[in-house]
Amino acid sequence: METAKDFFTSSDVKFAAIRKRRRRTDVLFKSLFRIAGIVAAMMVILIIIFVTSRGVRPFLGSAEERVDLKVFLTGSRWRADQGIYGLGFVIINTLIVSVTGGLLALPLAILSAVLITRIAKGKLSVLLTTIVETLAAIPSVVYGVFAAGKITVLVRDLGNIFGISTYGGNSSFAVILLLAIMTYPTMTTLAVSGIRAVPKELDFASLALGATPTQTSFKVIVPAARSSIATGFTLGLGRAFGEATAVSMIAGNALTGPSWNPFDITRTLTSTMLTGLHETTGLDYEIRFSVGVVLMIVIVSMNLLVHAAKRRLEKKGSAIS
Amino acid sequence: MKKQLMTILTVVLALAMIFTLAACEKKPDPNGSEPAPNKTDPAPNKTDPAPPSGDTTIHVYTRDSSSGTREGFEAVIGFKGELTEKANEVSSNGTMAQQVGQDVNGIGYVSLVTNFAENNLKPLNYEGVEATEANVINGTYTLKRPFCFTTRAADDYKSEEQKQIVAAFLAYMADSKEGREVVVAAGGITDVEGGKPWNEIKKDHPIVDRDNSALTIVCGGSTSVEKCVKAALESFQGIAGNVQFKLDQTGSGDGWTRVLGDEKDGPNASDIGFASRKFKEDKEPVGTAMRSEAFCQDAIVAVVHKDNPISNVTKDDLYKIFTGATATWDDVGK
Repeated sequence: METAKDFFTSSDVKFAAIRKRRRRTDVLFKSLFRIAGIVAAMMVILIIIFVTSRGVRPFLGSAEERVDLKVFLTGSRWRADQGIYGLGFVIINTLIVSVTGGLLALPLAILSAVLITRIAKGKLSVLLTTIVETLAAIPSVVYGVFAAGKITVLVRDLGNIFGISTYGGNSSFAVILLLAIMTYPTMTTLAVSGIRAVPKELDFASLALGATPTQTSFKVIVPAARSSIATGFTLGLGRAFGEATAVSMIAGNALTGPSWNPFDITRTLTSTMLTGLHETTGLDYEIRFSVGVVLMIVIVSMNLLVHAAKRRLEKKGSAIS
Repeated sequence: MKKQLMTILTVVLALAMIFTLAACEKKPDPNGSEPAPNKTDPAPNKTDPAPPSGDTTIHVYTRDSSSGTREGFEAVIGFKGELTEKANEVSSNGTMAQQVGQDVNGIGYVSLVTNFAENNLKPLNYEGVEATEANVINGTYTLKRPFCFTTRAADDYKSEEQKQIVAAFLAYMADSKEGREVVVAAGGITDVEGGKPWNEIKKDHPIVDRDNSALTIVCGGSTSVEKCVKAALESFQGIAGNVQFKLDQTGSGDGWTRVLGDEKDGPNASDIGFASRKFKEDKEPVGTAMRSEAFCQDAIVAVVHKDNPISNVTKDDLYKIFTGATATWDDVGK
């Protein structure tokens, strides 16, 4: 017959075994996750090392082939046929079209998010969400075909109304419109989840204090979701900066710049990298990696800027409350 | 209730906006009621609104600087590096066709196989000659460039078999009906009907009947010829005992150098060297080559929007337009 003491000892042993097994699985999975993390980090580092190491080559080559770094960063002409690679105006053009496109999409995204989460009910809300998600899933080359066939025509006709002759609508303005359309779904999706995450109590408190639903939406809920909205804006900007296929189809790839006139053709960092990539060799190929390095720097600094702005906004917000 | 009403209103508004946008495009020509534009103006049509009246600024479209078509066009017209700063750079033949077709004041250049009507384009006659395959073959249309090949000297091959298989391939690509068909399908222009049937030519090249998988035909030179040559080699492989091939296309300048010039015995030595132009008689003598000739032509067509009244251009016109010396359509030909 088993005494109580025996029982406890045997069960202790049993539990110890289970605990040991569990600890082992735990360690196993922990190391698995760690490996996954390291691999992911390695990819980023590898890409940066690879692109940078090739990107510096054009500036280190023999005297005949070398590109002057100062000319590269500040130049206002990109003439591969003459061996002149000045990227300065391209950086400015890229900033103009991406930021303007993002700013154009932001209010639309916030308003749509409010509509989806707070105004539309049931099926309509689901339908609108589906539409936004579909927009986000459309490949950029499809946007490009649409832009080259429709947006450019619209811009051309608009230009004609104002008496401005355009290159068949290929222009900064067309790129801005396209980028607004392309960044809109990202921003909307993030804004929607941000608004959904706002605690119900805030909603009720505002309504109980006598605010109308609209006042509640715009004065309480949207400000409370600003962090997600800012993240959406950053992600959207990332897409705008990185969009190559669609943009290069309607940018016109101007040889000089910067293009201040919205109806003038433009050139962006990505379109510069992409045009002719498949057929080119030598310096003209290597220099595309340098453009890639510049693009990465531009995107990272833009993200830091938005984050800084977000932090200031949050400080201000907490000071008020 | 109120919320639902707002929802419906919002949706209706959104739909209304979409329809207004769509309607914009179908609006009849806003300049239609105005006095007729002067004769040099591109005539407006029903679907495309006219350009701002009187504005005939030429919009130059060009291919990206790594394009073979651009290289050919600039070589024939003779303005390498002098392209106007105001040019719009596009990255493919299709994009070029589409964009010039949307721009009443545009001018660009495309390959001859482009569908002009579908893209609202008008192909321009060059020096008074219409751009057709027949005119390219009979030599009257001159906005074109030849695709040429040359080979190692007859006594300079690795082996007798190597020499025979190279000769057989060149006979297939340049002389046979079947080979020419493949070249034409890949975009080259040559007289298919003038070719001899392969079965006849084959008799002079018995090497194709054995297993040639140990032999490799090495090609170098022009990148523009790559599509045509690759297609020919791929189809030749099937009828010549699975012969292997290697294409190392780096530019017309290397075509001669790697089979007859300085690099003929170096690591990049090739059996056949290609150039998308004629070999230069003074610097690239091909007299010692086993065989050397143009195997097809590549024609380029200057195109404008279909409503542009111009129908013919000269070499001088194109030079002035693409270098920016002529800035408006009114000045073309002056």
